[in-house]
Amino acid sequence: MNAAPTPNTELTSALEDYLETIFELVKERKVARVKDIVKARNVKSASVIPALRRLADLGLIHYTKRESIDLTETGEATARRIYSRHKLLVRLFRDFLGMPAELALQDACAMEHNLSDAGVDHLVRFFEFLQSCPDGHDFIERFKGCALVNAESPQDIATCCAKLALSPNDPNIISLRQLKPGQGGSVIRIQGTGAIRQRILDMGIMPEVHIQLERRSPAGDPLWVRVQNSQISLRKKEADMILLRKDTPADTNAP
Amino acid sequence: MSQEIRVALAGNPNSGKTTIFNALTGSRQHVGNYPGVTVEKRTGTFDISDTRVHVTDLPGTYSLSSYSPEEVVAQRELVDAIPDVMVVVVDSTTLKRSLVLLAQIMQTGDRIVLCLNMADEARTAGQKLDKPALETLLGFPVVETVGHKGQGISELKDAILKASQLERTPSRLVLGERLDTALAAITFHIAKTDIPKATHPWHAVKLLLDDPLYVDRLMEKKGPGKRAVQQAALERKKLEDLCGEDISLFVTQRYYGFVDGLLRETLLRSAHIDTRALSDRIDAFVVNKVAGIPVFLLVMYAIFWLTFTVGEYPMEWIEDLFAWSGDAINGAWPEGKLDVLRSLIVDGILAGVGGVVVFLPNIILLFLGLAVLEDTGYMARAAFLTDRLMHRFGLHGRSFIPMITGFGCTIPGIMATRTMENEKDRLTTMLVLPLMSCGARLPIWMLLIPAFFPPEHRASMLFGIYAIGIVLAFLLALLLRSTLLRGEEAPFVMELPPYRVPTMRSVVGRIIDRSGAYLKKAGTIILAISMLMWVLTSYPKPPEVVDVPAEQQPSALEYSIAGRIGKFIEPAIAPLGFDWKIGVATLGAFAAKEVFVSQLGVIYAMDDFDEDDDEDIGTLRDALARDYTPLVGFSLMLFLLIATPCMATVAITRREAGSWKWAFLQFFGLTAIAWVISFAFFQIGSLLL
Repeated sequence: MNAAPTPNTELTSALEDYLETIFELVKERKVARVKDIVKARNVKSASVIPALRRLADLGLIHYTKRESIDLTETGEATARRIYSRHKLLVRLFRDFLGMPAELALQDACAMEHNLSDAGVDHLVRFFEFLQSCPDGHDFIERFKGCALVNAESPQDIATCCAKLALSPNDPNIISLRQLKPGQGGSVIRIQGTGAIRQRILDMGIMPEVHIQLERRSPAGDPLWVRVQNSQISLRKKEADMILLRKDTPADTNAP
Repeated sequence: MSQEIRVALAGNPNSGKTTIFNALTGSRQHVGNYPGVTVEKRTGTFDISDTRVHVTDLPGTYSLSSYSPEEVVAQRELVDAIPDVMVVVVDSTTLKRSLVLLAQIMQTGDRIVLCLNMADEARTAGQKLDKPALETLLGFPVVETVGHKGQGISELKDAILKASQLERTPSRLVLGERLDTALAAITFHIAKTDIPKATHPWHAVKLLLDDPLYVDRLMEKKGPGKRAVQQAALERKKLEDLCGEDISLFVTQRYYGFVDGLLRETLLRSAHIDTRALSDRIDAFVVNKVAGIPVFLLVMYAIFWLTFTVGEYPMEWIEDLFAWSGDAINGAWPEGKLDVLRSLIVDGILAGVGGVVVFLPNIILLFLGLAVLEDTGYMARAAFLTDRLMHRFGLHGRSFIPMITGFGCTIPGIMATRTMENEKDRLTTMLVLPLMSCGARLPIWMLLIPAFFPPEHRASMLFGIYAIGIVLAFLLALLLRSTLLRGEEAPFVMELPPYRVPTMRSVVGRIIDRSGAYLKKAGTIILAISMLMWVLTSYPKPPEVVDVPAEQQPSALEYSIAGRIGKFIEPAIAPLGFDWKIGVATLGAFAAKEVFVSQLGVIYAMDDFDEDDDEDIGTLRDALARDYTPLVGFSLMLFLLIATPCMATVAITRREAGSWKWAFLQFFGLTAIAWVISFAFFQIGSLLL
């Protein structure tokens, strides 16, 4: 008998939803009435009344017939917890993961009743971290820029992330195109796919290899580079695909 | 011959592969096409002891990926045709990159000869290789050669024979544990299909790389083939996850790893003298920001000057020779007998063919210039300098070589577009190529320019007509690329080989190759058309009208079939300033551009002969200068530059583009443009003058 909790003492997801609604109404209008709840939840008053009774039984609300409803102290704490959880999940889906608002709301409602307190706690910490960490904002923006745009292709995501992760912070990591004539650097990564990438690889341009920009064509494009013992010309657009670490004066002076 | 073997010659572009091929086979070669695709196929033979060796010169490739038609053809020859011996020609001065191709070829078969070409340059640079160690590590013969000097060729022949008798042994290619394990797992399934054993490693690596060519092939093999493809997908995923790189980079790096290992053990001393220093100094001047374009223009102008000014002298000799032959035949011919045959020989054949052969010196000089550009390596610089411009008009740096070739002849130019990977780039180049003034049009300029313009303006007139052709080609390319042929462009990643002194053998060979084709055309198509034109211009004979004086007799030419056709189309070309004589000759230009000249020759010779005029007309030029104004002359030049690509061009465009649609578009489009431009030029010119 004691294994099965009595229905009267359990806070079901439906009850949680009611509690949440009452919390929102109280916050908004100082008071919650049955007809407001009926309106907000889009249900019949016949199903609201038993739920309110149950909540009252659980000691979460003050409820007497035809009067306004108020939360008890425990009720308010519980409601606050549920509400913040809801808010958190909506934000996760909508703001961080970039889902449409309506879907985000729907998924948040489905998920909020099933998370453990520890799970919520970890999520909260994670998002607090993202918000307070200096790179957090960039991180979210990058996710939206790469993963959401390139949803179909994991490879493009990797390429895109590499580009973002490598370029903005280190001023010495640039694309081949950004070199000045006479400057060199060692290749970090070849981006892109297909024929152009394979041709670049076939020419011996690959990670770790040193490459130097000799000159540009008088018209500015294409470029003329030296790779190991050979000299190769390629267009700016192709040079854009080659990321390298620019030689520092120390490299140049080395024997 | 008691035995025959087949050898395939593979190598990077600029590795001197074709020089080696020429040194091996001498004049015993044949140039044709690979069936289905449009890549040139060179084959030849040589004999050694009692063995006849058939050599196929594969198109030059950097790797055996499947992105360009050349790479696909090379794979087909290596993997599917299964030659008895594969010779891999590498440039000894760029061993690291060149040997990657060797590593790939080691996966396609096991009887190989490695040919280290340009060994002298590598030695000068101070590079020293332990050849015996290399042979031991690879398990097949290694030969050092200097292709253009013919050094090491007999050793290469011996090595080929030796390799053909080698035991078939498993490949000694080591690509690292991870990749080798993955390949072994895929090979396990491939081994259960009927794919020849020697090519199993190659099929495995291609499946791993997800090359559709091979995936499809294995899928057709049903059960084990499908399992091989599935296994490959599994291994690919595993390797990519493990290394965090995509598979093509991973595999390419393992090839380089093999080459690095090989060189670590066999390179006794690496190159420490910069043999490119001189070449680089030349480049620093020749392709720099300031001098690059002027030097390029100067080089192009020099070639035209050579063709025009220097070519004038031998031209006169040939002219004299034909005139003398005609006179000799006329003099020696028995009076009154078979006059028709005499007329056919002198007025038809000699006048027609002579009018074409006379321009042989110009053709030879033009091809000399182009061959030197190609062999010195300046051609690649020219592509570097012009790519921006070509690109802006929707063309590709690679269009440059076909278009330059188009100055020689449109046909090889169109054939040379085969090197272009992108279909739309290729079609565009093909369609506008006839605007590059070809060698066959040179005789026309040679005839018309001196006829209408004073000596001091002739070189610039020639330069001008070429320039107009180029500008029109660009504009038309831009138009095509933004309308009918809109789409993506192909990569422009191109090697710039060091400057080399061109060898006599190669340059002369090229000239003989191409001028031979020109003469052959003169001997066949043009001969036939000359005879046809003679008939058209001779028959039917006008009736004798006894009562009228000689001046009012109807001209025989006007009365002939050709004359009537000319008269018929005259209303259409009159607004351009042309009369029916030009009309007749222009019709002939469709057969072959240079026929225009021989045709005019025939027309004027016949006209002169029948009128029985005592006045010596002299050369055709004088006749033209007498009959037409320079305005008509230039209008005519414009028309001939732009209109109606010759019969052979239409045929080759149809073949290369794969449908009559493009050939017709080219033919009618260009003719319409020519008419509009000549019309505008002549009408506006008439108003102004």
